[in-house]
Amino acid sequence: MMTEQGRVLSALLQGTFICQVTDEEAWRFLKNREKAQQLEPHLAMLNRTLSSTAEGDVFFASYLTIGEAERKMLTQQFQDTASNLVPLVEWLLLVQQANESDMPVTMGNAIRLNELQTTIEDTPAYAEQLEKISRYRMFGSTSVNLDGQLKQVFKRLTEMGYLTKPNPEKQIYLATGKVEHLYEMLRFIDETEALSLSEQADAAITQCSLL
Amino acid sequence: MSQALIQTGTRLLNALGKHSDLIMQAYIGGTVDEQNHSPKVLEQLVQLGVLWRPESQSELRLKSAVRTLLEGSLQDERNRTINANIGASLASLKTLAEHYKEALHYNKYNESAAHMSDLTEHVYQLSESLSNSVRVLFGRITNEFGYVSSVDAKIRENELAQGQVTDLLSQLECFRFDELSEIAGSNRELRHLLVVSLQQRFSKAAQELSVVQARLIDLLGRFREFQGRTRLLKGYLLHMEQHPDFAPGNYTNLTQVPILFNQSNSVISAAAPDVNNVEHENDYQEIVSSLTHIHQRKGKHDEADEPQDIDVTAQSTVSLEKDELQLAIEDFFCEVIDSGQPKTALTYYEEKALGFDREVWMYQVIGGYQALADQEKQFFALDPHGENDKTFTGNFYINDITLGLR
Repeated sequence: MMTEQGRVLSALLQGTFICQVTDEEAWRFLKNREKAQQLEPHLAMLNRTLSSTAEGDVFFASYLTIGEAERKMLTQQFQDTASNLVPLVEWLLLVQQANESDMPVTMGNAIRLNELQTTIEDTPAYAEQLEKISRYRMFGSTSVNLDGQLKQVFKRLTEMGYLTKPNPEKQIYLATGKVEHLYEMLRFIDETEALSLSEQADAAITQCSLL
Repeated sequence: MSQALIQTGTRLLNALGKHSDLIMQAYIGGTVDEQNHSPKVLEQLVQLGVLWRPESQSELRLKSAVRTLLEGSLQDERNRTINANIGASLASLKTLAEHYKEALHYNKYNESAAHMSDLTEHVYQLSESLSNSVRVLFGRITNEFGYVSSVDAKIRENELAQGQVTDLLSQLECFRFDELSEIAGSNRELRHLLVVSLQQRFSKAAQELSVVQARLIDLLGRFREFQGRTRLLKGYLLHMEQHPDFAPGNYTNLTQVPILFNQSNSVISAAAPDVNNVEHENDYQEIVSSLTHIHQRKGKHDEADEPQDIDVTAQSTVSLEKDELQLAIEDFFCEVIDSGQPKTALTYYEEKALGFDREVWMYQVIGGYQALADQEKQFFALDPHGENDKTFTGNFYINDITLGLR
């Protein structure tokens, strides 16, 4: 039998993101400052430390000191992330638009696959968009029908930890804290590269309305 | 007077009941489709003050009083108007209280009773409209302005609601309880109405409104965040369209790697089983028994799979060598046939001084007999010698066997 502490520790060492949606018990454990502090020595032994994003609502393990090997590892990881950004952003926008509520996907949002599928099937523009998204290397769908593409995209996203399926019987997915992490990364890139993305979007919207 | 009033009221309510379909259609659609209803009915409803024509060219609409009644009873969330005119109600309360006091002063009890009931009505109306306003605001907050779809519209709705809350709060400031208590003076009933009842309502409304305000600001923050996120996503896609070769700088090469990009990899992999651990023996056994198929290592097969020359020369014949014991049994059977005399197995055994175990020999004799084909069996007779067990019946010990010809 593993203690709660051991369970949380091993989850962190596996490189998973812990948030309220994926693992509420572990999340509560980490929210407790004292208990989280108890983990630090164990993590430090393996050159890791506890980090959080999304205003302290998502936890993960990061490297304590970064040497050659770690840097190589991180660079590889970063390149993966950077190349996955466009497909992920396109997918987020597709879900947001097809949801009809105009709400961006955030942690804890429920996505009902059947409803989403109906909306996408009824709107050729969305269907085209889905096809484009599913062809990205990250999702790697070769399916020609919409059903297969959608399932593949959701399967991959669940594998990568952006979504979780609380009930295996039902086609309802919940967005996890990793989605928040994605937004944070976008925001960071926006700020560091001085892209002023929001202004660009605003300008595009006003241009559209002028036309 | 009152009889006539009752009759008119009943007529109005009857008309409402009779033409409920028309009224509900007008409530939902906004206007009345005049072609579908008889002009006489419409005329009657206009006269009763249920419908009205805002301009001579426009279609008939519901009067706002009827609409308010329906909105209030149906708890319709489209109801956005909030009656914030508390100052006016307070002024009329004060006037009525003065009337009541004057009537009491001149001992006109009938008049004073009428004034009192009027005043009571007004006070309750005021508290009802206050609680109604708060309820409407709460209703809109709980479904997050669900009646409009886009986030921008929600933000506008939120701003409207915030304005209404501010209005209500500033109107609440019109309550001057020192003034009211002065008016009430020492009259018990007035005091109860103007001070106790209103004050309770006032403090409750003020409390609820502050909660509403906090929730509205919270919501506005959330909507703004949604808006920000949407802009971020759209902006990123636009940027990628305009600069397809854009790649974010490699932040992991910085001396201080930002926490966002500092995510450690997995260090834990599955443990291996320790087969020497006695405690786990049962579990391992279960695991092994539940395996559906075993993946065997293929490493050694590879060598055998390499092409080999095929030898097509004749295969050497395989000769099955018989066991010594079997040969001895055959000899024994042959001797019985040759001599034609019955012979016990042990006699033959001693004659030939065979080296097998005696018991094995005996068994093999029986076995040899049984192994014969049915036809051959007919030539031989097997007669076991022995005795029953002393204690247990049914157990027979064989000491020797006689084999003879029939």
